[in-house]
Amino acid sequence: MVQDVKRISTYEWEVPIGTVAGMRVPGRFFLSESLEKILEPGAVQQLANVATMPGIIKNSLAMPDIHWGYGFPIGGVAAFDLTEGVISPGGVGFDINCGVRLLTTPLAEKDIAGRRDLIDTLFSAVPTGVGAKSAQKVSAQALDGMMTKGARWAVDAGFGIPRDLVRCEENGGMREADTRAVSERAKQRGVPQGGTLGSGNHFLELQVVREIFDIPAARAFGLAKDQICCMIHCGSRGLGHQVCTDHLKILEAATKKYQISLPDRQLACAPISSPEGRAYFGAMAASANYAWANRQLITHTVRQVLEKIFSIDYHDMQLVYDVSHNVAKIEDHSVDGKKIRMCVHRKGATRSFGPHTPDIPAELSEIGQPVIIPGSMGTPSFVLRGTATAMERTFGSTCHGAGRVMSRTQAKKKISGREVAASLAKAGIIVRASSDAAIADEAPEVYKPSREVVQVVHEVGLSLLVARLDPLGVIKG
Amino acid sequence: MSFEEVSHTADVKIRARAPTLEGLFSDTCDALMQVMYGTSRKGTITKEITVKAADIESLLFEFLSEILFISEVEGIVFSKATVQIDGLHLHAVLEAEPFDRLRHAQGTEVKGISYSGLAIRHDANGYMLDILFDV
Repeated sequence: MVQDVKRISTYEWEVPIGTVAGMRVPGRFFLSESLEKILEPGAVQQLANVATMPGIIKNSLAMPDIHWGYGFPIGGVAAFDLTEGVISPGGVGFDINCGVRLLTTPLAEKDIAGRRDLIDTLFSAVPTGVGAKSAQKVSAQALDGMMTKGARWAVDAGFGIPRDLVRCEENGGMREADTRAVSERAKQRGVPQGGTLGSGNHFLELQVVREIFDIPAARAFGLAKDQICCMIHCGSRGLGHQVCTDHLKILEAATKKYQISLPDRQLACAPISSPEGRAYFGAMAASANYAWANRQLITHTVRQVLEKIFSIDYHDMQLVYDVSHNVAKIEDHSVDGKKIRMCVHRKGATRSFGPHTPDIPAELSEIGQPVIIPGSMGTPSFVLRGTATAMERTFGSTCHGAGRVMSRTQAKKKISGREVAASLAKAGIIVRASSDAAIADEAPEVYKPSREVVQVVHEVGLSLLVARLDPLGVIKG
Repeated sequence: MSFEEVSHTADVKIRARAPTLEGLFSDTCDALMQVMYGTSRKGTITKEITVKAADIESLLFEFLSEILFISEVEGIVFSKATVQIDGLHLHAVLEAEPFDRLRHAQGTEVKGISYSGLAIRHDANGYMLDILFDV
């Protein structure tokens, strides 16, 4: 599989048609030479599998954090024609609108250095880990609001400020949400989990802006050197997981009904315009909205905690931006000089809209959309900005994170959670997690270096470096 | 117990083997619970579930998705599944206990059961499968 791959420029590689039977377009991915050494054949196969799907436009794409997932590779991007194309939960994942947001504070490093009590307070305030239930009691009516209006529901209910909405992709809510396509079971899972972080790679981090690469962009985003920020990484919780499970079943049947032939059952799909395709899209959008509302609820909790401990103003903690890295959306892009409306799937990939594109905040029109790339535990995160190059080459997309290199089984054998926490503490990083296993599982060495992944998208121009943030306190599920 | 976690970078991949199809389903359920809640699981309550599907892999998908759903909404942890399969109908008697943060918080949340690469195979020694859990 990997031997079929051809390098076509310094950072770009092609998976030719024929690598997997039935490919309609070539696959393309972006990688540095050193990242190429850890490229998994399974990920290349998945990239090629996506290229067999009906109505795919131009290329099946993957970002430099490409790795082996299910259905699409993680880091995968594919766009589909609205008439002939399909929509697939395999191109979004179980955690619909898993995403990241970054909140600034007026605090400096000296204010929080060594403050374990602060991390403990945040850990108690934000429900975290397996089996965690919401502190905010979400009613059935509130759940409907979360799914229909997304972050706007939370802001209207007093869990934020109107400006937050301007600083979210889609203004924190997709209009296409259809709660009728969300099962009672999914709703049942959504009620107790509003405002919870979850587990796995989800986290809440206090970070310090350590390095600025692009002063005007950083200023426009509200970032300054030595400033403390808070990064929140989570998704649509059990509600989104159930929506994916329910619709996977419906789309399995639809794949047969519409006589679509696929190399992987997890790519189950239906024409975007079919009843099954529309139902999935409506339910997925409702789940995405739940995730935005969820991140907004967590943001509110963080603001309250910091407001109380440091006597700072709630309004002085501004949202830089909120990005989704697991989602399918209807967008306009130019292909061979022609503007086409299409369904863009991003699975472990971040939107990276360039300057002067619609759907980005007006005040950032000259700069481009803020792109937030979380590091793994204990490693730097990055803020970048969207580019015209991304609009031309990747349907306005870039990478989403570091990407794992070590399996969980290896991590468990080789790494002790307690030792990782101790060594991070020596480096000035306080970690609180629901278990030692959760720390071992997400240790820095199980991930590709985030810096290297980000360097590739910067060099290719899919997004440009603005700032580097180093972690000081980490809360893990 | 005849399952093992095999190497997979992003998710949890389980390889299970059992002499019977029922045993294979039961072991895979055990694997799912172990990934989520660890090994300290007891049976103090009993539950019964019934699922059906269009093919055998879908039956397993339905069964495990049902386990995930009940575990989450009822806040219970399963310790044992006694499974009966009749064609593409499944009936299971499950032993469970309420979620206990002290004993059950060592695992990781499973977001969903993947169809990717899921195939139940059968030879002279019995049944086997590889299955991927999204975590």
